[in-house]
Amino acid sequence: MRRVIALAVLILASVPLMYAVAQLPPIGSVQNPTYTHVVPRYLAEGHEEAGAENIVTAVILNYRGFDTDGEVTVIFTALMSVFAVLLMPRLADKKREEGLPAVPVSPVTYFVVRTLAPFIVMFAIANIAYGHAAPGGGFQGGTIIGALLIATSLVMGSERVGRLLPESIRPWLQPAAVLMFSIVGIAGMFLLGEYLSYPVHGPYVFLRTPFLTLIEIGIALGGAAIVASIFWTMEGSEG
Amino acid sequence: MKALWVNIDYVASVILFLIGLYAIMAKDNLVKKLMGLNIIETAVFAFVMASGIVDGGDAPILGAGARPPFANPLPQGLILTGIVVALSHTALALSLIIRIYEQYGTIESDDLWGVE
Repeated sequence: MRRVIALAVLILASVPLMYAVAQLPPIGSVQNPTYTHVVPRYLAEGHEEAGAENIVTAVILNYRGFDTDGEVTVIFTALMSVFAVLLMPRLADKKREEGLPAVPVSPVTYFVVRTLAPFIVMFAIANIAYGHAAPGGGFQGGTIIGALLIATSLVMGSERVGRLLPESIRPWLQPAAVLMFSIVGIAGMFLLGEYLSYPVHGPYVFLRTPFLTLIEIGIALGGAAIVASIFWTMEGSEG
Repeated sequence: MKALWVNIDYVASVILFLIGLYAIMAKDNLVKKLMGLNIIETAVFAFVMASGIVDGGDAPILGAGARPPFANPLPQGLILTGIVVALSHTALALSLIIRIYEQYGTIESDDLWGVE
């Protein structure tokens, strides 16, 4: 019965959606409204104005920098909420001993993950370091490192992998993205008068690309630490 | 019909959206409901990304050898933000589901109606 109602709702919902889709301008045209508003300026002047060859990086870190600043705050808040929901009730419990992974891992998986790990790290670092000039960036590189930490935790046990990121430095890495945004934002405030402003010309123009790179590194470190910490926190729970 | 065929990418997003909506409405398991929500998000991401496609467009990376037309960088930046927010709320929702399981021993929403 519930399925029938659900299907009826879906059919009802699909009619206006399909009708709207049929009215939209065709995909792929350069006359599309999405392509004629601010984008021509980004593409024409983004390289000079924002200091990044990759226009996506220029958009997220410079033109829409406040947006991204808020976003790294969101993901940091999410980590804090996961801690609050999962960790706090457990602080009273005695510390659970964690050793090897609970499910035995096939030697093939173990070998493949361990062999590929260095190359995955290299790829992630390349992503971070060239994010302003090539596809990639801090979020992508950081998530790759986080995913790698999760994959190695699955085959080697979180205990061993967690040692890469000791408990004592985790609280400094998890808010790295937010902190780096604040540092660069406040530096911009002192040098140029406004929070998160980038030098376009004048004596500080050489700082523009370093600013972007600093934020990218902060986002990458913070992203990797947060993704891995979320996994480790959830893994420690029974279920 | 022809208008739908021209925008087949948008149509695919709509179908994906409806699949996610069905999962949210018809499934009892909270994890499956959350998966449905994630499918809906993917549909929205695909929709916005499709709006940024440019025929024959290159990646919007300027520098030596780059020549127009470029793909639209704005949807890509927006969706990058959106993916991170989706990750954040998925993590929070999963941790809440873990707590519900620890507390009540079930994550079936129809079983949860009766518990106190």
